[in-house]
Amino acid sequence: MELITVFIYASIYIGIVATTFYILSFFAYQKKERLMYTDNELPKVTVLIPAYNEEDSIERTIKSVSASNYPRNKFEILVIDDGSKDKTLEIAEKFASKNSLVKVFHKQNGGKGTALNYGIKKAKGEIIFTMDADTSVPPESLKNMVRYFKDEKIMSVTPSMVIARPKTIWQRIQHVEYLQGLFLRKAFASINSIYITPGAFSAYRKSFFERYGGYDEGNITEDLEMSLKIQFNGYRIENCSEAPAYTIAPEKFRELLIQRRRWYFGLLKNTWKYKKIFGKKYGDLGTFVLPIGWISIFFSLIIAIFSFFKTISKVKDEFLYLQSINYSFSNTFDLNAYFIERFLFLFFSNPIILFIILFLVLLGMYIRYGVKKIGGSPGLMINLPLYFLTFSILFSIWWIVSIFYALFSKTVKWR
Amino acid sequence: MEERQLDSKKRYFYAFVIGTIVFLIVFGITYFLSYLEFQRISNLQSNSAYRIFEDKLDFSIFEKDMCPETSFKEVTQDLNFQGRIIDDLEKKLGKSDQSVLSRKKFYTLVELEHFEFVKTLNQECKLGMNTILFFYSNEKGDLKNSEDVGKLLGAVYTKNQNNLIIYSFDINLNSDLIKKLKEKYGIKESTTVIINEQYVVINPDNINQIEKYLSEE
Repeated sequence: MELITVFIYASIYIGIVATTFYILSFFAYQKKERLMYTDNELPKVTVLIPAYNEEDSIERTIKSVSASNYPRNKFEILVIDDGSKDKTLEIAEKFASKNSLVKVFHKQNGGKGTALNYGIKKAKGEIIFTMDADTSVPPESLKNMVRYFKDEKIMSVTPSMVIARPKTIWQRIQHVEYLQGLFLRKAFASINSIYITPGAFSAYRKSFFERYGGYDEGNITEDLEMSLKIQFNGYRIENCSEAPAYTIAPEKFRELLIQRRRWYFGLLKNTWKYKKIFGKKYGDLGTFVLPIGWISIFFSLIIAIFSFFKTISKVKDEFLYLQSINYSFSNTFDLNAYFIERFLFLFFSNPIILFIILFLVLLGMYIRYGVKKIGGSPGLMINLPLYFLTFSILFSIWWIVSIFYALFSKTVKWR
Repeated sequence: MEERQLDSKKRYFYAFVIGTIVFLIVFGITYFLSYLEFQRISNLQSNSAYRIFEDKLDFSIFEKDMCPETSFKEVTQDLNFQGRIIDDLEKKLGKSDQSVLSRKKFYTLVELEHFEFVKTLNQECKLGMNTILFFYSNEKGDLKNSEDVGKLLGAVYTKNQNNLIIYSFDINLNSDLIKKLKEKYGIKESTTVIINEQYVVINPDNINQIEKYLSEE
């Protein structure tokens, strides 16, 4: 058996065992009772919205969060203008003049981490939400997420992150990616193994910041760093699937590549920073979830690189073959019943094809869960095939570029 | 920080067991499909052999005129299909699988029966049918080359379906028939193509190298 075949089957086997484990964990979690705040017990919350040149979306964001069904006397919204050069500050101040929940602060540009740390110092809430200026939430999300904080071990709660109004091909692919991520996030929460709290919208206990410090201001993925810091210090990160949050995804391939390069490069750096998290001491996260995650990435890349070169050599062979037979399409295939039978036999007697079908079925179930949680997903029938056909290729490209940057010490900036 | 416990050790065990079972079931399904296809090929082979023998006996013993309505074209298609599926099964089930080997030997026998019958029809009915004997090898070093020539011959066949029959023989098959064939045609290496029992082409890499020896319909 060739080495690459061993890699392929090993990655499939690991994938099946891991998926089974996550599905079992998900169902076990549904049966557990959880401590939840009732309406009367809800603590005071602060929503921090750091903004840099967000004149197009800032008003919509503030409007959406201020429409939350959270008790008004326990709720404040702080907009931190991070030295915007456009009308962000003006628009936010205009909104604040009409809405007493909203306060606007202005500081010199210093990056998202600095704006969040600035906001944390000003915040009066026991629970702090961080929210991107291009994100919006339905009225119930805030309250649903805060309820989880009754359990004192919980330091952060993540929402159901969804792509808002996907239009371009790239947004549609990301839309499905986010949808299928909702199930996995819940499964990870069930074994306290969430290691990414979305920067676009997440909730934290303020006391954590007071005890362990705020955001790492030089970090390009400050949200990831914060979640690993919470896990590293032995606390819980929960997920509230009943709290959708809609974010704007990159529209173009180049923008998406830059975003993913930042994310994956940040993941590499922050995983290295918190490498001690790997191991028995950190329960399911350190023993299973993180090691399996990295092994899967490693296998995916090996297989993708192999498939790339194999495809090139196959295309080259096919080209030479077509030349050698004085190519004429009508003469290339004899489409009779035997041809079709042999094709079907070869197709369905190939274990890899059956495994792909199995994973597609599982993916379909994840997506169904996601759609149910966010209450529908228009255009899914177009988005799904786009995702199935392209995501693994895109995933490999993003990772290869990110590893290249990491290996050759290239600098990755936030924007 | 206090050491965290695994949420449930049992769940890992269950995941391992269920995952392993699912993994094996998928291989079981592919093996089962191969088995079904093997059964079908076996039946088809017996059927082809029966038809060839029946046609031959009709012609030789009962002196029936076979020229206008012979079924050799249909049998040719069946044989091509069987040959390919047997090769596929060999790749899936392994070179040492005895059931596939026995089918392969039987296939060689049926092919030669057919070859002989076509030669007779060529003489008696002036069919003008071209024949190609293709000697290949599925050994590791030869496989790629054999597949390339196989594809080339596939293209030649598709272009000349009405007046061409290709017979393929695995030179590594442990069979007396193959040994005798190799001796008769002086086969020393894999991917040797013999056209109309006269022209020998070794490792052809272009369709013209073969087509130039084919007689017109």
